[in-house]
Amino acid sequence: MSQNKLSLQNALLTLEQLQQTPSREDDITEEQEDNLRQLGCHLIQTAGILLKLPQVAMATAQILFQRFFYMASLRKFAVRDISMGSIFLAAKVEECPCRVTDLINVIDHLCKKFKRKATEPLVPFSHDYYHLKDAVVIAEMQILKKLAFNVHVQLPYAIMVNYLKVLELTDHPTIPQRAWGFLNDGLRTSIYICYQPPTIACGVIWLAAREAGVPLPTSPAWWEVLDSDLEDIENIAGHIKSLYFKALPIPDLPLTIEQVEPYIKRDSNNGSHATPPSKGTRVSRFS
Amino acid sequence: MDHQGASASKWAREPSSDEDEHRQKKRKKEKRFKKAKDSPSVRDGSGTPSSTMGRMDETPGHPDAATSLEQSEERDMAVDSDSQVPEYHINVPDAPQYPALTGCRSVENYEKLNRISEGTYGVVYRAKDRLTGEIVALKKLKLDQEKNGFPITSLREVYTLLLAKHPHIVNVREIVVGDTLTQIFIVMDFIEHDLKELMSEMRAPFLQSEVKTLMLQLLSATELLHENWILHRDLKTSNLLLNNKGEIKVADFGLARRYGEPQGLMTQPVVTLWYRAPELLLGSKQYTTAIDMWSIGCIFAEFVNNEPLLPGRSEAEQLEKIFKLLGVPNDKIWPGYSKLPLASHVPNFVQPYNLLRSRLPYLTENGLDLMSKMLTYNPAKRITAEEALKHPYFSEAPPPKHPSMFPTWPSKGERTVKRNASPSAPQAIHGHGQEDEEVGGLFNFANQESTGFRLKV
Repeated sequence: MSQNKLSLQNALLTLEQLQQTPSREDDITEEQEDNLRQLGCHLIQTAGILLKLPQVAMATAQILFQRFFYMASLRKFAVRDISMGSIFLAAKVEECPCRVTDLINVIDHLCKKFKRKATEPLVPFSHDYYHLKDAVVIAEMQILKKLAFNVHVQLPYAIMVNYLKVLELTDHPTIPQRAWGFLNDGLRTSIYICYQPPTIACGVIWLAAREAGVPLPTSPAWWEVLDSDLEDIENIAGHIKSLYFKALPIPDLPLTIEQVEPYIKRDSNNGSHATPPSKGTRVSRFS
Repeated sequence: MDHQGASASKWAREPSSDEDEHRQKKRKKEKRFKKAKDSPSVRDGSGTPSSTMGRMDETPGHPDAATSLEQSEERDMAVDSDSQVPEYHINVPDAPQYPALTGCRSVENYEKLNRISEGTYGVVYRAKDRLTGEIVALKKLKLDQEKNGFPITSLREVYTLLLAKHPHIVNVREIVVGDTLTQIFIVMDFIEHDLKELMSEMRAPFLQSEVKTLMLQLLSATELLHENWILHRDLKTSNLLLNNKGEIKVADFGLARRYGEPQGLMTQPVVTLWYRAPELLLGSKQYTTAIDMWSIGCIFAEFVNNEPLLPGRSEAEQLEKIFKLLGVPNDKIWPGYSKLPLASHVPNFVQPYNLLRSRLPYLTENGLDLMSKMLTYNPAKRITAEEALKHPYFSEAPPPKHPSMFPTWPSKGERTVKRNASPSAPQAIHGHGQEDEEVGGLFNFANQESTGFRLKV
């Protein structure tokens, strides 16, 4: 019962949940899962831009998407459907609801584009149209159910801006933009379900300042003043940086449930894929 | 100041060795964690951002390696009571106290006892928790005719109920699902009465001392909502629950929503007709917390008289009732009145007097003053919940009755199904989506463009 509490705080993963995801139990490798998670987030972010949603809605949607697949397997729920459901739900949560029709048109367009198919518009009232429409509503309910209605997400954007002000970095030519970008890109990693917003804000500032070569106060260390651990910060930075070392093979990745099985089988047959940098790699290795 | 200076200079003079500092930090963290666990906002799992900020004051000052651990312990205690010491730590509580990701439980965990009522957008059941034996209320959401997925209003309801933890706001426990995806239940504490029902059964109105207690409770709940930028938008007696300990619980947040600055346009027809503020009746698209205060004014009068103050049957009649009671407004007492969308359609009649006194003959001067401040035409001048709580009405004799001294009544919810005794809030807002907005209204005001909402009488 105590675990089932509704809360406005961001839910965090337990160590077991992080190590043994439902997809892993369903024989999906870590690399495959990472790829599919990134694909979903990419789909959400691109669709959100086309739908002219505010970034908070896209961020919330991506976090819901990430959370969902710690509660369910990628073999049972399609990336496309859950992405749609996440956008639909997040838009409501952030008080900027989008129309189902717009959403499925955009998603259909993007899915065709991802697969390098001709991007013909979706025929209204066709079989595909109704199929997608149903999928949105079902996915939304599944997300609500699997996450026990904990769908309100605290985001680190505002906190980061405040921290930048505290550190007097707001006028720096690159750091604010870069840190903001890291926050957006970081949505594709697990950091938002492993750390609370203030720690994430510190992580992206640390990374952005480091890349710009700007020293920040160390006595007392600024992250201690903001009550974050250097270890957490480096971990966050490592996760974000690891995104930039591998291109996502978008056309090869499965969007629907029918495409998933061949993908899992094919990839497990040839194990010659280059392994991505392991999670939690310290940034110092790269820079 | 001395303390501050001394510790700061010590900090500068004796740079700490890393190990010491680390040890101390760890110790501090443990201590802080213990504290955080003890604080009520964490215990009930409802820690809001603001409560996290509140705990900032409790955090000890910066680590000082020069002092021994025992000394620092002592100093930390001192710091708690002395806010002069500079704060270097913002308390970000440690991870374990955050909720883990879990799925929904099944409704099978509860045993349905009986149906309590059928509200505008859901049925409420009384049920028993199979594990603990506690009696709860299960509110089933109507999702059958949803074309737009899960209703945004229900999301808002969950959000506001979670944000607004208050002794006089109904407590939401969890959300459970039934066999199919369309069966969603909100689990709330079971409260014995709703005030509408209760007042219709009472032979005499509430005593003044009781009215004061109820009003204070209602106002303090409203104050919290408004402080958190939430509008309830449907305050009325049937949405106020009363338990057998004399405590009001504000319920039904189905219309509640967040608002902000600058204000966006919001749905116009909100609030059940009898409790609807004049600016809403006159078609204003922007509104503030003042609309809730108008509703509270109407509720106040209902407590005193044991009958609704302004039971209009249509929007036009509602406005007429308001004008007959309070006089016809003009630009002098309500700047911008004539520019309101529907002001030009107001039927032409002259009634310049405020007749509130005649309706409430037994209320004291202070009581009448508070009520007329709640029922002020100009929303900007209308009293706020915070101000109302300090009104002299509450400090004059008779003093508010202690809740434990309240009489008790047998609960209706345990016996019968009740019917809707007062009209409901406008239907369309309960999440039926944009498509419904084209439906013509039954009670169109002065043949204006349809507001598209039918009144359920």
